[in-house]
Amino acid sequence: MDKTPVTILTGFLGAGKTTLLNRILTEEHGLRIAVIENEFGEIGIDHDLVINADEELFEMNNGCICCTVRGDLIRILGNLMKRKDKFDQILIETTGLADPGPVVQTFFVDDQLKEKLFVNAVVTLVDAKHILAHLDDGDEAREQIAFADVVLLNKCDLVTPEDLDSLEVQIRGINALAKIHRTTNAGIEIEKVLDVGGFDLDHAMELNPHFLEPGQIHHHDSRITSVGIEHDGDCDGKKLNAWLSELVRVQGADIFRMKGVFAVKGQPDRVIFQGVHMLIDAANGGPWGKRPRRNTLVFIGRNLDRTTLNKGFRKCLL
Amino acid sequence: MSAMNHLGTIQSTDNILHLAWDAAGERLAITPSTGAISVIDLGGHILETHPGQSLGNAEPAWFFGGLATAGFDGKIRLGDGREIRPGRGLIERLKTSPDGTSLAAGQGKALHILSKDGAIALGLPALASPAADFAWNPLNSAEIALVGAGGARMWRLGAQEPFARFDWGGASLRVEWSPCGRWLVTADQTASVHIYDFSRDYPLHIQGFETKVQAMAFSADGSRLATGGGPVITIWPTTGETGPEGVTPIQLDGHDSDMIAAAFSPVTGQLATGDDTGTLLIFTFQNETKILRKRTRLPAGISALAWHPTRAVIAVGQSDGAATLLSLE
Repeated sequence: MDKTPVTILTGFLGAGKTTLLNRILTEEHGLRIAVIENEFGEIGIDHDLVINADEELFEMNNGCICCTVRGDLIRILGNLMKRKDKFDQILIETTGLADPGPVVQTFFVDDQLKEKLFVNAVVTLVDAKHILAHLDDGDEAREQIAFADVVLLNKCDLVTPEDLDSLEVQIRGINALAKIHRTTNAGIEIEKVLDVGGFDLDHAMELNPHFLEPGQIHHHDSRITSVGIEHDGDCDGKKLNAWLSELVRVQGADIFRMKGVFAVKGQPDRVIFQGVHMLIDAANGGPWGKRPRRNTLVFIGRNLDRTTLNKGFRKCLL
Repeated sequence: MSAMNHLGTIQSTDNILHLAWDAAGERLAITPSTGAISVIDLGGHILETHPGQSLGNAEPAWFFGGLATAGFDGKIRLGDGREIRPGRGLIERLKTSPDGTSLAAGQGKALHILSKDGAIALGLPALASPAADFAWNPLNSAEIALVGAGGARMWRLGAQEPFARFDWGGASLRVEWSPCGRWLVTADQTASVHIYDFSRDYPLHIQGFETKVQAMAFSADGSRLATGGGPVITIWPTTGETGPEGVTPIQLDGHDSDMIAAAFSPVTGQLATGDDTGTLLIFTFQNETKILRKRTRLPAGISALAWHPTRAVIAVGQSDGAATLLSLE
């Protein structure tokens, strides 16, 4: 059964979420899209495809913040999935200051949702004019960027090209993996938001093949950064599993996103891996083809130690 | 055990979300996930249709002789056609108080209590977290239990604080209050149930289910509780000093896939369960050790069950939109 893609839209108040959502709801793209917005969301419009939900956060494992999920989404999406007339896409808008973690985590922990849905992308709208102030104000804006698969650097008409270049470098410093699109009035081809495809490490590598190398990113703020690890050859599945389990147990609260492709001994195909905080998920990534068997792993998080992470992974290699 | 006679089938356009007989058993409301809601009689004839709510229907309720409906658009339509929109958020279900005088509607962090004229009556203050589900105390129409993040809260209408609470670190998705008023059972987000004993102020957390529990039902006499999510049905005794605590439950099989719905007949005491591949099981309890099982295969997954209040007739809702009346008389 084909899974329905879910796109999570984040961004500060005024970044352009409403403009983007209105475009998605009104443009002729031939897709049937349901939008779930927070009851106090920015859209505030009555639309046949907009469901207003009140955010219900709860912890799955008796107090583990990393396992906080959105109960309202579990119920609403469960209901939507029972219908005969399925939606082509589901779009979830978070409030301006919301941590996207619980929304993403919901799709990791609920087996019934995992069966029928997949996260297409976390799309973060960034107000090019005001993002610097937001980055200085607190962690929320950084975390929203850290979670992103796609960043829309919006309101580009309000700043100079030089400022945009500088902003991109700062965004890359937080999240080296995200695709960045420069937009004005959230003007972007819809497929760049709705057809990201979930796991896209290869594409990020194509965009910036050197981003895994130390020293390539000039960090605006070293607290939230990306760390990439790349090694040829096979790794030991048991050691890898043990290392990742221990890593997320100890440091999961600080790891926002993890993505990786592994060459595991005994596995002819690529093993793809992704995670949010303490939750990790692995799947068959298809054959290697002509590509070399190479392990690529990216962490985006707070206070990440590149040397320690590298050393830890090296121990998993054969 | 008697054979099942097919009384009639009504075809809706979508998965059957909910089935509800009125108190006299003269009308059955058939609610699909989307589209028009049909009301039929015992012969399967359509008596009336109600428009569906945009985006999706809520579970409706019989209220002062008419069918009150609601939906994901946040609107409530009373049986006389009046429409109320107490807030923007979606409404997932309506429930009428046992004495029939109040209608409860959960909408985000609000639980609206409507009186006959559709006015918001003395209700509850804003909740700390949305209520995933709620259940009236069958013995007291001024008391209602709400579940969601953090467990269960029991409220008296008009009060500023809950009069009782059962806390736990996770979340509950569905709740049922036993007909005798003693037990409150919740189906949780994790594969567990909580059974709260009001008589002892005691919470029992039962884990070890294969999957999330999706179906729960008390027998009309309050002596049994059926729970299930996977293929196995677990029957807990809810009598004696400690109820299910320390007791080995009865486990019944016969399903090939996840059990979605369960209901006890108020007339015969039989238990009906349905799974998502269309297997309908009817259990007849001859005594605690002898339980007869009748197995029927329907064309599509079973999504809802409702026994007639005064006759051995059951309505079966399916994922393909069919609602079938079967007689066991």
